[in-house]
Amino acid sequence: MVGTEHVEMIPVAKKEIWSAEVNGRPVEVLAPSNAILLDVLRDKVGTLGVKRGCDLGTCGCCSVLIDGTPRLSCLCLAGQVEGSSIITVEGLSEGAHLAPIQSCFAEYGGSQCGFCTPGFLVTAQALLNENNNPSDKEVANAIEGNLCRCTGYQQIVESIQAAAAIHRGEVEPAAPASDPHPDPHPTGPEEPQMPPGHAR
Amino acid sequence: MSGGYRQQPGSPGKVTRKDGKRVAGKQAFPPPGSGGSKPTMAPRDLDFIPELVGGREAQPAGAHVHDRARTGTSVGKPTALVDSNAKVTGQAWYGDDVRLANEVIGKILRSPHHYARIKSIDTSKVEALPGVLAVATGADSPHQFGVLPVTKDEHAMAVDKVRHVGDLVASVAAVDEATAMAALNLFEVEYEVLEPVFDPKKGLEDVDEPIHWRGKYHLARTNVQKRVFQEFGDRSLVQKPLASSHGKWKMAGVHHGFTEPHAVVAHWGPNGRLQLYTPQQVPHYTHRALATVLDVPMHQINVIRTFVGGGFGGKSDPFPHEMCAAILSRKAGRPVRITFDREEVYWINRGRHPSHIEVKMTADDDARISGFDIDALIDGGGFASFGHVTSYYNGVLATAPYELGSFHYTGARVWTNKPASGAMRGHGAVNTRCAVEVGLDEMADQMKVDPMDLRLANLLPPHSRTISGFRITSNGMREALEKVREGSQWDTKFRQMPLGKGIGIGCGFFISGSGLPIHWDPNRFPHATVHIQVDMDGGVTVHTGAADIGQGSTTAIAQVVSEVLALPLEMIHVKCHESDTSPVDLGSYSSRVTFMNANAAIRAALEIREQLLKAAWEILGYHPNNLVLNDRRIYYKHDPAIGTSYLKALHKAQEDKGALIASGAYRSPPMGGVHKGAAAGLAPAYSFSAYVAEVDVDVETGMIKCTKVWAAHDCGKALNPLAVKGQIIGSCHMGLGQVLSEKMVYGRTGHLQNPNLLDYKIPSVHEMPHVEPIIVESCDPEGPFGAKEAGEGPLLPILPAVVNAVYDAIGIRLRDLPLTPDVVFKGIEKGMKAAGVDDPLDLAPPRVEHGELQPLLVKRAAEHKIRDQARQRSEDTSPYVNGVLFGFDPNIPLEDQVEGWRMATEPDPEQLAALGLAGKAWLKKEQRHMGGDE
Repeated sequence: MVGTEHVEMIPVAKKEIWSAEVNGRPVEVLAPSNAILLDVLRDKVGTLGVKRGCDLGTCGCCSVLIDGTPRLSCLCLAGQVEGSSIITVEGLSEGAHLAPIQSCFAEYGGSQCGFCTPGFLVTAQALLNENNNPSDKEVANAIEGNLCRCTGYQQIVESIQAAAAIHRGEVEPAAPASDPHPDPHPTGPEEPQMPPGHAR
Repeated sequence: MSGGYRQQPGSPGKVTRKDGKRVAGKQAFPPPGSGGSKPTMAPRDLDFIPELVGGREAQPAGAHVHDRARTGTSVGKPTALVDSNAKVTGQAWYGDDVRLANEVIGKILRSPHHYARIKSIDTSKVEALPGVLAVATGADSPHQFGVLPVTKDEHAMAVDKVRHVGDLVASVAAVDEATAMAALNLFEVEYEVLEPVFDPKKGLEDVDEPIHWRGKYHLARTNVQKRVFQEFGDRSLVQKPLASSHGKWKMAGVHHGFTEPHAVVAHWGPNGRLQLYTPQQVPHYTHRALATVLDVPMHQINVIRTFVGGGFGGKSDPFPHEMCAAILSRKAGRPVRITFDREEVYWINRGRHPSHIEVKMTADDDARISGFDIDALIDGGGFASFGHVTSYYNGVLATAPYELGSFHYTGARVWTNKPASGAMRGHGAVNTRCAVEVGLDEMADQMKVDPMDLRLANLLPPHSRTISGFRITSNGMREALEKVREGSQWDTKFRQMPLGKGIGIGCGFFISGSGLPIHWDPNRFPHATVHIQVDMDGGVTVHTGAADIGQGSTTAIAQVVSEVLALPLEMIHVKCHESDTSPVDLGSYSSRVTFMNANAAIRAALEIREQLLKAAWEILGYHPNNLVLNDRRIYYKHDPAIGTSYLKALHKAQEDKGALIASGAYRSPPMGGVHKGAAAGLAPAYSFSAYVAEVDVDVETGMIKCTKVWAAHDCGKALNPLAVKGQIIGSCHMGLGQVLSEKMVYGRTGHLQNPNLLDYKIPSVHEMPHVEPIIVESCDPEGPFGAKEAGEGPLLPILPAVVNAVYDAIGIRLRDLPLTPDVVFKGIEKGMKAAGVDDPLDLAPPRVEHGELQPLLVKRAAEHKIRDQARQRSEDTSPYVNGVLFGFDPNIPLEDQVEGWRMATEPDPEQLAALGLAGKAWLKKEQRHMGGDE
């Protein structure tokens, strides 16, 4: 945006109804025919979890799953994916139950500032959908298009491997944090259980 | 429980309807204050209670003042960030995610010229464009601002002059982005182009039109913004060195490369108050600057810090676009959102200064470091930003961890017509540290000793003073060095690996919180304040202004409160986004947050805890000294069955006064000398680190791959080991980028060539080596539970470790960062010529045979280790100042000990002839000494 001469915007494109299935919900919005998918998702559909980092397809923050394949929504015209099934970071969890990849990113430090996290999550989810026992090399290959400036990737790879273990059924998934009280205990610590062997 | 308020927890099971529905008023909800889903009291976690207060946590460094506040609840345990669930579900709201009803879009017109005077701006066509709601230019923002009160040199939009390509000229708000973009084309600006300066060396020369004018304090007619001279110690020691190193370095500017571009939303509400949403590390400075620029009192502004998508120092200035959004919103009467594209992020910059650094150092016959002579010329770009401080940090942060015979520093920061440099992770210390550590390596080679032992035999002990008067408290440098030496199997690898494979060492030293608050006298206001409020529900609300930028400061504060009150982390709610509700806090910079805010939080929590214990005393009849807090319960220490719940005690304490409220503050102790610049680099504690890096160098292409890093960092006490490890690994990533690939490339015409993430090479997952984070805990006496910083210091050692490893691999010293393949191969070609070989594969990697000094160093290091251990545990509380190694008596003032000992902040007339590059700034006079009186 530097310089006296700015490139004229493309002549106003005709607005059309754009429809797709976003996170399992059918969506119909009015968008210009040349709209970028990222803009449509953020500004029209309201899935603000899809992040804009670079506009050039270099950072991977805007990754979404289109019919199961991770793609960069900043390099994708909305019209190209008309009618597809799109999954954003908001669509990974099942209600209050976080997807294993989400809870593992939280638990293993895969997310620091969190801005690149949505992109990593959907990319990693796509990997785990196909391969629940990836090697570190395969994980690295899957996330090579995503930049993270905080973590140095190591804890991200650890998080993905931990999630893979849950996908393989080796580890129990964590209880959802928003589940209020899976084991309601009316007495609470008013009458705590004493250490074993302790005389009341 | 006595009369008054009584909450009914209800008792399901007793009264149930036949149809299974719950009876009104008897819902099954966990009793308030019970912590929700965890009905049973967790056993006391002795593994996380210090051994000196009855637990099992080892305390090699001795007792700590906060030991009695430990309850084994959350400090020291790997903890997921408290806001991580918001981040992994896409619900965290960053700058551009703030969408207010009726918002309009702001865009900024930027300068196409490096340096020009604005003769006129015609906005009539812009205003006529349908859809444009507000237009603003420099005329709307005459007031100057800046992050440091001494160097306020920025305007919201250019007044009179533009100072770099991309400088803000005007701004416009329109109904949508397309209209705003179209409006930018309609500004008619007339410029008078001026002669730009790009080369910092040229910045030292007199010009017709300096980029800024400081009146009588301006240095001649140069572009020097700040010059520094510091000399300490006995310069005669450097006369006959046994070994010496002289390196001239050229370090490219680097950018923070955070993933979230700047974004801001400003909204003048119907009551005439401004709400500003911005991802800021220093919301309070923005708050101050807004008040100045907009000419409204601070209390009419509410700065709301959104989630911050990475900062690293790049979001720690009040920014002109924030002012623009506010001005536009004031005019348009609607919320204005300005979001940068990636290119604009590079125009605002504030990255690490491009630097020319020259380091001379000497060692005497006993392999003691007799002198450091550092000269740093740093390229500040168009504005001051944090540069005043950076100019000092480039020198003074090299005064430790080694004991020095003398120290000489000249530094200068110049304005050039480029985007402004500023603070970036490891502020000011990174480049010089790299030069110094590589110099030590070179001297070790000359003396035929192991560089590891050279360092170990020259360290300052804990509880000592550096040559410039910094007070060092805890010091884990020795342990860090020993741990990486052992972990990396240094002794079997160093100088023994084949050509192309190398191993190198680097150390680091960094401040843990700047000792002086920028805006006020530390004796009048504290550094940090934290408020805690506990109401009937038992939840603990913590108000702090600490800006979490992803490092986990919110989590750290929640952890310490949870620890002191023995409550699960879920019961602690940290409110830290709004300036309306949080106490004033300086923000996240200089690695101050954990140290200062957690200290303040502990103080506030202890006050609450005292009230709870007093209430429990009334209920149980046992004195608080005999009561134990553990997991939502307070009980008699000899019989856990005699006790009361947290909630009962809380309600007892709340009788007659309602919610419990406490405020805690932190203030740094009085420190430092009286010389000019003595405050720069002062900190209540310092962090230390040592890294060993292994690299593969392809001698035929010059490609470097770092394969493994052992990273030991002394963070005092890891409150959250998961976050500390994340910081260490992340620092390695950022440092590796600077040393191997990242560079802001300015072309011959002064244009920034790579303002995007495609050409600005941030390491991807494939470039990252495996990092072995090693946490060293020296337990700082003043840190919260012993903690010090872990965010910036860990970046420092990775640069010299890699550069030294490259020398170990190919035998060539490279001093031009980043070490991109072209730089390395040029070095290899030179090395081939010197060695007289035609094939790079015939180069000989360096080898070392230890000389007679080596056993002497090993012996001295062993003696010092015993000395350090005694001092760490405070068994030896005698004073220790830099210079004892050279035979000084710590009880006598340094200047009285040796004839030649001096402390100077200005050069002697005879020194003027022999100054380095940046030192040349001292050949100029300020206007007030030249008869100029402007």
